[in-house]
Amino acid sequence: MTDHLLSLMTFFPLVGMLIVLFLPREADRLIKTVTLIVTIIVFLISLPLAFDDVFLTSSAMHYTEFVNWISIGQYFQMNYNVGIDGISLWLVLLTTFIMPIAILSTWNAVDKNTKGFMALALLLETGMLGAFIALDLFLFYVFWELMLVPMYFMIGIWGGKNRIYAAVKFFLFTAVGSLLMLVAIIYVYYFSMKAGVPFENGFSIAHFAQLDIPANLQMWLFAAFAFSFAIKVPMFPFHTWLPDAHTEAPTAGSVILAAILLKMGTYGFIRFAIPLFPVATMKFTPLLATLAVIGIIYGALVAMMQDDVKKLVAYSSVSHLGFVMLGIFAMNLQGLAGGMLQMINHGISTGALFLIVGFLYERRHTRLIADFGGLSKVMPVFAVIFMIMTFSSVGLPGTNGFVGEFLILVGAFEGGLRVYTVFATTGVILAAVYMLWMFQRVMMGKVTNPKNENLKDLSAREMVIMLPLLLFVFWIGFYPNTFLSKMNPTLENLVEQVKGKQQIAMMAEDMEQSVTKIAVNDLR
Amino acid sequence: MSVNDLLALTPILILVLGGTALLMVCAWYRAPRPLLAGGVTVALMAALAAGLVPPPATEISGLFSATSYARFFTILWSLLAAAGIMISARYVIDWRLGAGEYVSLVLYAAAGMALLSSATHLLGLFLALETFTLAFYILIACNRRCEFAAEAGLKYLLTGAVATGFMAFGIALIYASSGSLHLPEALTSLTTATGALQAWGFLGWGMFLVAIGFKISLAPFHLWTADVYQGAPAPVSGLLATGSKGAVVAALVGVIAVAGPVWHDLQDLLWFMAVITMLAGAFGAFTQQNLKRLLAYSSVVHMGTLLVGLICQSAEGNVATVFYLVAYVITSFGAFAVIASLADERGEPMHFDQWRGLGYRHPIRCAVLSLFLLSLAGLPATAGFMAKLVIFQAALHSGFTGLVLVGIFASLISFAFYLRVILVLYQSQNETSSWHPGSAMEHAVLTVCASAVLLLGLFPGILLDLISLILT
Repeated sequence: MTDHLLSLMTFFPLVGMLIVLFLPREADRLIKTVTLIVTIIVFLISLPLAFDDVFLTSSAMHYTEFVNWISIGQYFQMNYNVGIDGISLWLVLLTTFIMPIAILSTWNAVDKNTKGFMALALLLETGMLGAFIALDLFLFYVFWELMLVPMYFMIGIWGGKNRIYAAVKFFLFTAVGSLLMLVAIIYVYYFSMKAGVPFENGFSIAHFAQLDIPANLQMWLFAAFAFSFAIKVPMFPFHTWLPDAHTEAPTAGSVILAAILLKMGTYGFIRFAIPLFPVATMKFTPLLATLAVIGIIYGALVAMMQDDVKKLVAYSSVSHLGFVMLGIFAMNLQGLAGGMLQMINHGISTGALFLIVGFLYERRHTRLIADFGGLSKVMPVFAVIFMIMTFSSVGLPGTNGFVGEFLILVGAFEGGLRVYTVFATTGVILAAVYMLWMFQRVMMGKVTNPKNENLKDLSAREMVIMLPLLLFVFWIGFYPNTFLSKMNPTLENLVEQVKGKQQIAMMAEDMEQSVTKIAVNDLR
Repeated sequence: MSVNDLLALTPILILVLGGTALLMVCAWYRAPRPLLAGGVTVALMAALAAGLVPPPATEISGLFSATSYARFFTILWSLLAAAGIMISARYVIDWRLGAGEYVSLVLYAAAGMALLSSATHLLGLFLALETFTLAFYILIACNRRCEFAAEAGLKYLLTGAVATGFMAFGIALIYASSGSLHLPEALTSLTTATGALQAWGFLGWGMFLVAIGFKISLAPFHLWTADVYQGAPAPVSGLLATGSKGAVVAALVGVIAVAGPVWHDLQDLLWFMAVITMLAGAFGAFTQQNLKRLLAYSSVVHMGTLLVGLICQSAEGNVATVFYLVAYVITSFGAFAVIASLADERGEPMHFDQWRGLGYRHPIRCAVLSLFLLSLAGLPATAGFMAKLVIFQAALHSGFTGLVLVGIFASLISFAFYLRVILVLYQSQNETSSWHPGSAMEHAVLTVCASAVLLLGLFPGILLDLISLILT
């Protein structure tokens, strides 16, 4: 059972998709119920991972599976090679945890061709889980592309008014990056073949990480990977697809996109780009940290000026993911742990905020801040939950956001990114400005618009959706160790590996410089 | 011509004689169904013969080869002809096209394609090319009630005639400077003792390539493609897009294997042609509002990508090219088959307005069409992805990074226009009317194509191993 736990978890949604496809098209409720049950079962399958104490001490891959999949003569070998460690553990659990919530949120929101939507959602879950557990670069690429298609159709078919534009933009942005990544993947593969990595290992990242790739080649390969991941994150100049995609996507789509798909980018950096190309990482750190800080401040400033709640939350994602990137490139334990934790936090709080926007939209069919005001009097329970999620997004002490951002800032400050940290800290303040200002305009004051007078408070279903998210807001806020202790061994190991290689490269460079100096002196 | 030669030619003879027999029979007996069934049987028998009867000789009269490579393509084109007849059945019956004539023309075309893929002599190549081109002139224009069909037939005829002229003159020049029309010699004797290339021979090969460019619609010779595919009946367009082009590419793979230094000198030219073909096809398809025209431009992009594989001139590149070819043939034919299966007395659904929301009316066939389009776009887990992967991989290995980047850019644009079609299929539900439910034979062809696309996407090793085997 535990031998194939990961495969079972990854492909069970696919089985669910087949079941859904054979259900009668008119049976809306039945389709939704079946999908919900499938996603809950997937969550239950993944749950033992959370209680496995092996992650407390070991940085290695666990639950590994290895099967030869495709071999092409003597040219190519791809394997089904999966496993899980402290980095992917919580992201996998976040995925299986968010999916039932996202499905539950569609109960009344999706009424057009439900069957297609649910089938795509399940396909998407397989893609996401597969991408998080893949240890073979090629397998990762297959899952990575597999995620793209369902999301494209979710936006393009069930989206808002400008859905086609948003869907095409989303697809083109992500496809540009991923195709370049594919070229880089093949290139690394050839390099490994030349370096004598056994053919049977295929695209195994564990072996790629041991390669000694020349620094100038690393720069190109890192650039190709980083470009692809930076689009997905999204980092500052590549973020323009995000607000469009979010505004047009249906609520469940937005939740999945924000909570999980964006994490693919940051996860890609930690899992692939950094360990595979440590020297290039070192060289690119100033650039990426600058972009991260620009993203933090720019995202916050743009979010402040939005008049659409959903767009505001979308731009706040740009800002939050900037923090994650800053933490990752601090390249020390605090920074990385903060980045990882903030990935989870962002999934929970921004996912929750998109759900909240969805609740508002279902009631009023508008998302403009100006159309609301004084809702806290009409919907008191909703107001409390919204407030907690706002605090969590702002990073108030006691909520999950605080722990993540604090660790990131400490890590970045100690990790040689001091100036960046100073600027990034303004982002925390700006976050408070835009979130609280929005909250005030939507929830506080008097009810000015008569249409808002008779809004219903949260239903039982909506409470069920929000309660688990609330639980984690406080759990991570008060006792983050549950989560941190299981990712620390892996992250420590990562930092050690990367730092080691970077130091060797730096020493080699120093040697070269001193050799040239000596040579110059000799000439004199 | 000895008995051995005839035995080696068995599959082709079955196609040609079977086609002729059916043509004779239809002079007296005009019921369409038995004739169509007869055509399918003949094509399947030819495929069976090619697979089961071992050829006693590997070369036939110095014109054609009977190697396992030739046999592989004979089987492929025979099966394609069988599938082509199966999806044409309703057209032939409903439009009263004359079953005997139609079937025999398809069989002749298949014979021509099979011969072309196995040609080892420039004359053999020329004859085979003209054989199926002639058959297609008629097939394209066979529906006399459609005003576009006549236009399409004429366009194909005119460009075909120009291409024939180029090819004949090119072959003459090659013969003048090399003294041979047999394939290794026609290329290898082009260089003088000092290693310099003879100018006339080089010009000859250039003209030859122009003719090839017309046939497989490489830019800038691709302009006829969209009009012809739009005007011809969908099954014929399907055969034209896959078989007629595939046979030429298959022949080129054979030529390149022995080309030597001439190829090297042509490489820059071909590099340029591949780049503009991929880009012209991708940008051409981008603005189309008609699925058949879109598929025509898509075939242009794919031909450009195939050229990338050919340019590598390595064993790996050839394997990749053949694999890509097979994947493309199955996928593109499948897409045309979906159009054919939806056609009814109003004609074929072509314009995007006719496709809008059709995904809710005909869910299964539109899902299959989406699968084909995704495969043409090259999404993982489909045959098209594997095909693109092996081609680009081979090109990277041979050092054509620039070509790969252009190819990836073209793929990117392709993604946009293929996906747009799928979005159209699943837009608003209530606007369109239903089309034909499709016959059992059409469904069978679609099932086979769709399964093959998935199978090759998930387990490409089977076919790749086979191809490496037949190419050595």
